Amino acid sequence: MQNTKIIELSQVGKNYQPSGFWALKDVSLDVVKGEIVGIIGRNGAGKTTLLNIIADVLYPTQGEVKTRGRKLGLFNLGVGFQDELTGRENIFLNGAILGANRTEIEEKLSGVIGFSELGNFIDQPLGTYSQGMRLRLGFSIIANLDFDILIIDEILAVGDLLFQNKCFEKIMDFRRAGKTLVITNQNMELMERICDRIALLEHGRLVYFGEKEEAVRQYRELLAKEGFFIGSTNAAESIFENTKKWADEPQNWGKILGTKEVVIEKVAFKNRFGFNCVSLKSRAPLRIKVDFTALNDIKEPHFGVAIFRNDGVYCYGPNTAFDGQVFPILKKGRGSFTLNYQSVLLAPGDYRVSIAIWDKNETVAFDYHDGCYKFLVKGQADLSNQLLNMPLAGFSKFPSDSGKIHPDLETLRNNWMQKLESPDTGPGSLRVYNSLHEEKNKFHTGELVKLSVFFPEIKKYDPENYIWVGFYRDDRIFCQGAVSKMGHTNKREFIFRSLPLLPGEYRVSFGVWNEREKKFLSLYHALYPLHMVFSKGDHGTVYLEHNWKVRLP
Amino acid sequence: MKNIFQEIISRRSLLRELIAKDLRARYRRPVLSFLWAFLSPLFFSVILYVIFSVFMKIEIKEANFLLYLMTAVFTWRFFQEAVSSAATCLMDNRNLIKEANFPHYLIPLSLVIANLLNFLPSLAILVFFTLFILKGVPLFIIFLPAVLLMHCMITFGLALIACLAYIRWRDTKYMLEILLQALFYLTPVFYSLSLVRQALSQKAYCLYLWNPFVAILSFYRLTLLKGFYQAIKLDVHWFAWAVTMPLIAVAVMVIGFIFYFKNRKYINDYLAY
Repeated sequence: MQNTKIIELSQVGKNYQPSGFWALKDVSLDVVKGEIVGIIGRNGAGKTTLLNIIADVLYPTQGEVKTRGRKLGLFNLGVGFQDELTGRENIFLNGAILGANRTEIEEKLSGVIGFSELGNFIDQPLGTYSQGMRLRLGFSIIANLDFDILIIDEILAVGDLLFQNKCFEKIMDFRRAGKTLVITNQNMELMERICDRIALLEHGRLVYFGEKEEAVRQYRELLAKEGFFIGSTNAAESIFENTKKWADEPQNWGKILGTKEVVIEKVAFKNRFGFNCVSLKSRAPLRIKVDFTALNDIKEPHFGVAIFRNDGVYCYGPNTAFDGQVFPILKKGRGSFTLNYQSVLLAPGDYRVSIAIWDKNETVAFDYHDGCYKFLVKGQADLSNQLLNMPLAGFSKFPSDSGKIHPDLETLRNNWMQKLESPDTGPGSLRVYNSLHEEKNKFHTGELVKLSVFFPEIKKYDPENYIWVGFYRDDRIFCQGAVSKMGHTNKREFIFRSLPLLPGEYRVSFGVWNEREKKFLSLYHALYPLHMVFSKGDHGTVYLEHNWKVRLP
Repeated sequence: MKNIFQEIISRRSLLRELIAKDLRARYRRPVLSFLWAFLSPLFFSVILYVIFSVFMKIEIKEANFLLYLMTAVFTWRFFQEAVSSAATCLMDNRNLIKEANFPHYLIPLSLVIANLLNFLPSLAILVFFTLFILKGVPLFIIFLPAVLLMHCMITFGLALIACLAYIRWRDTKYMLEILLQALFYLTPVFYSLSLVRQALSQKAYCLYLWNPFVAILSFYRLTLLKGFYQAIKLDVHWFAWAVTMPLIAVAVMVIGFIFYFKNRKYINDYLAY
C-alpha cells in the first residue's frame, strides 16, 4: 500500500444555512490511498454531512478539504433517480451527473445492467421499482464507473442477501485495485469486518480515528452511557442448550455468497479408499476436501461444512471454530482443508452440502457455497423416511429383526402428542436411563442412553407384535425409529452406547405395532420430552465424529 | 465566462440528459408525443383566427392583427414557461443536486433549452401563417437566429436568478407570477405601439421602450412580418435598440452567473432546509 494521502481534511466545520446549525466542527482526518475507512456515530452525529463534504456535494464553512482523483458518491439509494424515467434512462442521467460522458456510459451499459440483475425491468419506469431494485441499480452504476474515491452512505444494509454479498465482493475488488472507500453503516460487526480504520463522530466532532476495534468499543461505550441496550458481547457459554439451527432454505441452494477474498476452488467427496465419490453407504466414512485460494491476507478465518437433507433439514454443520481451532491469519495463496467423518450416521437419501470460509463473527463470509454440492447415501430403502441411522447396541445391523417392518407414518403424523391405548396391551411406560442407570431426560451429546419400554398388563402373546420407539425433533422431524419383537416378554430395552443427537428439544415416542393388522395397538406419541446438551456449538441434528486437516497457504 | 463555456462543453452529456429528461417527462405519456408541440400552437392559432379575424375583425396599422398577436403570444409563452418552470427547478431536482457535485446552472439552462425546443415548432407555424397570409417574409428574417439568441440569453439569465432566489425566498414564485403578468401587459402583445405613443408623454414613452421585452417582441415582428418596419419606423429607435439589446442580453446573463457563483456554496444548504 502506498502511503499517499488521498483525502485530507483539516479543521473542517460545517454550518448549515440558514439555520446556523453546526453539523461538523474541527474535523481533521487523513485517508491513505487504498484504505477502507468507516465513519460511525449516532444519527445526527454528522456522518452524512462529512461524507457530503468529502464528495464535494456540500461546501465546508470552515477548514480545508483536499482530495485527489475522481470521486463518486452513493447517497441514500441513488437519490438522483427520476421515477418517470426508465432504468436505462436513469443510468445515463445518473452517469452524466457523476461525471461520465455518453460514450463511457454506453461502453459500460451492459456491465451495469448485468450487475444490477434487473433484466427486462431495465426498460420500465423507475416508479415501478422496489427499494431493493433501486439500490441494485444505484450500486451497479457506481460499481461500473471509474473512480479513485468512493463514498457510500448507509446503503449496504438494504437489498437481499445475495446482492449484499455481491456488493461486498465488489468492494473487496475495489480495495485490491487500490481504490479508496469511505463508508457508513449502523451495523458495527459489518464495519469491523469491512473497514481498515474507523472514525467515530459525536455531536459533529471527531472523537476517535484509528483502530477499528477501539472505535467500535468506544461507540458501544458511548451508547451504553446513554442507556442504550447493546446486547451481550457474545460471552462464551460452556454448555449449549440449543443451537436452534435446524433447517436451511432450499431456495437458497446453489447460491454463492461472500466477498471472495478467499475463493473456494474445488470441493471433492472421497470414500474410504480415497477415491472421489458421489454416493456412499450409510455409516460409511466420508472425506470432504476443499481447495481454496486466498486473494488477500485475512484475519481469523474459520472453515465450515454443513450437510442438509434434500428438504432443508439440517443434519450436521461443524466448523473449525466450534472445534477450537484458531488460525490467526490466512496469507495470500492456495490452501486446502479436509473434513474426515468416521461414520456418516445418516439414513439413505439425497443430501446437500454447503461449504463456507467465514470471518471471525460470521458477519459476511469470505466465500460461501450454499447447498451447492450433492451426495447420496445408500442403504435399506425402508430407512429413507427417517433422518438418521444411529447405531443401536445389540444389533449388528439396525433394525435387525425388523427389515420388513414399516410403522404407519400416517397414524404417526396425525396423532402428534396423542395417546392411543387398547385393552389388548394395557397401559405402557417408558423410562430413560443413563449409563449409571439413573432415570433422566437431559443428556449430553454422545452419552449412553437406554430406553426401557414396559407394558406390564399385556395379556396374550402374538408373534406379530413389536415394540416401537422413535426419536423426533420437537419440530416433528422424524429422526429415527427402532423396533424389536416383543416375544414372550412385556419389556424391551433399546441402548444407544453413544446417542449423537445435538443440543435441543427432542421427543420420544413408543408403542406396540402389530405387523399382521398393520396398525399400532397402542401408541404414546411424542409424549416423552428429551433434552440434549453439548459442550460445542455444532449446528444440526446429529453429531458425526470427525477431524479436520487444514493446510494454510 | 470562457471557463463557463468550457464547463458547459465538457458536461454536454449531462446537459443533454437533463434536456431529454424534461422533454420525456412532457411527451412520454401522450400518444401523439412531440406532435403536440405542433398541434397545440396550431389549434391555438386557429382559435385566435376565428375570434380576432372572423368575429371581431380588428385592424391595426402595423400589421395583420392575427399575425401581430401570434408573434407576441407564442414568444411570450416560451419566455413565461421557461422562467416560471425554472424558478422551482433547483428545488424540483434537489435529489440530483444532493447526489453529486456538478454545475447546478445546467438545470435551468436545460429547462430553457427544452422550452426552446418546444417553442421552435410554434415558430415554424408562425412562419407558415405569415407565408400564407402575407405571401412572404421580410429580408430581416436573416436576423431571426440573433433575436432568438438574445431572447434565450435574457430568459436564461432571469431563470437563473429566479431559481436561486426561490430556494432562499419561497415567496419568489408568487412574486414572479405577478411580475410576469405585469410585464405581459406592459408589452404590446395585443395593442399597437402607436397607441401607446399617443397615450403617453414623450418621456414616459421613452421609458416604456426601454422594457427589453418591447424591444425583443418588436424584433420578432420585424424579422417575421412583412411591412412591419415601414409601419412603425417612426415610432421606435431601431438603431439604439440594435446596439443596446445584445448588451442588455449579455448583462442579464452575466448578472445571473454572478448571482449563481455568489450563492453556489449554499444551494445545498438551502435545499436541505
